[in-house]
Order: sequence, then structure tokens, then C-alpha cells
Amino acid sequence: MNCSDWAQDSAEFAEHLKVCEHCREFERNAAAMRELTVAPAAFAAVRQRVLSEIQARKRQAVWWTWSAVAAAACIAMIWVSYVLPSAPRPEALVAKKDPPKIEWPLAKPVVRRVHHKSSGRSLAQTAPVRKTEPLAVVKMLTDDPNVIIIWLVDQKGDSL
Amino acid sequence: MADFRLKAEDAGQSAGLLDRAKTGDLDAFDQLMRANEKQVLGTALRLLGNLADAQDAAQEAFLRLYKSLNRLPDVQEIKPWLYRVTVNVCNDMHRARRRRRWEPLSGPEPVSSQPDPELAWAHQERGRLVEMALKTLPEKERAAVVLRDMQGLSTREVAGILGSSEVTVRSQISVARGKLKKFTDRYLRKRL
Repeated sequence: MNCSDWAQDSAEFAEHLKVCEHCREFERNAAAMRELTVAPAAFAAVRQRVLSEIQARKRQAVWWTWSAVAAAACIAMIWVSYVLPSAPRPEALVAKKDPPKIEWPLAKPVVRRVHHKSSGRSLAQTAPVRKTEPLAVVKMLTDDPNVIIIWLVDQKGDSL
Repeated sequence: MADFRLKAEDAGQSAGLLDRAKTGDLDAFDQLMRANEKQVLGTALRLLGNLADAQDAAQEAFLRLYKSLNRLPDVQEIKPWLYRVTVNVCNDMHRARRRRRWEPLSGPEPVSSQPDPELAWAHQERGRLVEMALKTLPEKERAAVVLRDMQGLSTREVAGILGSSEVTVRSQISVARGKLKKFTDRYLRKRL
């Protein structure tokens, strides 16, 4: 049993058993242990549990993948619906506002008194309004406070 | 003696199974389990001495096998790899059970394959006695003696599985056998 020449080889081992009672006893116990058989149902139960666990893990993996895809899609939709419109557009930053429209005052009709020699009466006559294009006045100040450049410009931008 | 080498025909079939299992074929993995279940459940049963725990350990070992299929390049690697994992899982469970300080309820016990009922009973009693004696051994000695004497592996194979030298394994087996002998003698003396 506790001997040092325990043989590796089965032939040597068989020879050893013939002379060593302790090893014979041990071998009988070990053989009894080896002969204990497990019911086939126990093996089947293990296999079933393993396969169920693998399938459950696969299902879980698929669920997590789809959840991740759905979450990413939701985030993308929120971004497109809310975040993107509120952000300033590049062209809006560059676009200039139209310059303020200048209100040109209309010329008032001039009333003149016309004396008729034949009748000897004088009548008030409204002179036709000359349709002149209003002018813009651009005042340019210089370093010298006494010198001011005044620039008259019509609507077309031509100077007079 | 157990030999991890497979016959050419079996090796070819198993290699095909391994390749199919690697692609996620559960039928192929089921067949791989069937080919190795006696080895895994038998070792776990002898190391833990309890069928319910042994089934849990076997389940864990096979799940680890499934996860590691792509890391096993050759079908010849499966058996020693499974032995190593089974011993590790059983050691972990043994330590957890020691921390729990209570024994789980036993499931259906293994039965003797002897056709004669009287012989079967004697075998079963012997088996139980060895099982009780094995529980008294430290985990390395228990693993060495189970793999060498119960599973029938060679000292070299046991050394490879346990990650020790052959000299260490021989010494562990020798010490373990002495302890088992003492335990059974003491037990039988008390009973008689």
C-alpha cells in the first residue's frame, strides 16, 4: 500500500499485487469505486442542463445585440429630431441681413397762383409733381470739424 | 491505463465534431459531451463524493469547454483539458463547501454494476468507504489518487493534468494511499 515500487506498467502491477496484500486490498477498493456506475439519466440531465444554458446564453446575447441596436436608433432619432434643428446652420451664420429699406419722402405738390389777364382773376394752380427720384445724402466727416463732405446719391447709386 | 491518443478513425470523427461544434453546431457539441461525460462526471463524483455536486461540476466543466472550443486547436487536447478543468472546478466547489460548513442533500447515489445483489451490495459498501476516506484527503492528494487509481491515468498524465512533476505525483499518491489505508482500517475496526 505505502510501498515505493508501485508499478506504472500493468504487468508489473499485476506481479506486485501477487506479493503485496496492502496493494491488493487497495486495488479491491479502487475497483469497487470504479465499478460504481452512474445512472444514464444523470448523464442525460447534465447534457440537458448544459445545452439549455448555452441556448439561454445565446438568446441573451441576441437580446443584448438588438437592445443595443434599438438604443442606438433611438438616440439617432432624438438627435435628428431635436438636437439637429436647434443647432445654428452654417449658412445662417454667414448670411447677411438685408439692409434697412430707406423710406424716401415724396415731394409735396407745389401750389402756385396764376394770374389770368383775360379774366383778371388769379387762380390757384397745383403744379404737377415732378417725379424725381429721391436722393440720399451721405455726410462724411473729416478730421477738420469745419470740413464736411456731403455726397448726394440717387437710388441707383450714382452720384450727382 | 487510459490513453489520451485516439485511433485514427475516432480522431477523424472527433476532429469533424470539434470543427462543427466550433461553428456553433449544438448537435456536434452534444456528441462531444457524450464522448467525454463518463470521464467528467466520474471524476467529479469521486472528487466530490456527491452526485448532485458532481453534476453541477460536470455542467460547469462542459460550459467552460464550450466557451474555450476555439482555443483548443486539436481534438486530442480535449480529454486532458477536460480533466484539468474538472479537477479545478471540483477543488473550487470543495473549498466553497468547506466555507458553507453544511452538506447539500444527496441525490440518487451511484450503484454497483455487479449483477449479483450480494456482490453489488459489497461493492457499494466498499465504494462508500473509499468515498468517505477520499473526503479526508487534501485536495492535491485526492486529485492525484482519483486520477491515477480510479480513472486509471498514468503518472505522467496525472502530472500533466495537475501541473506537477511525476516525482511529486508519485509521492502524493503514495502518501494518499497510506492515509486511505489507515482510514479504512480504523473504520472497519470500529464497525467490527
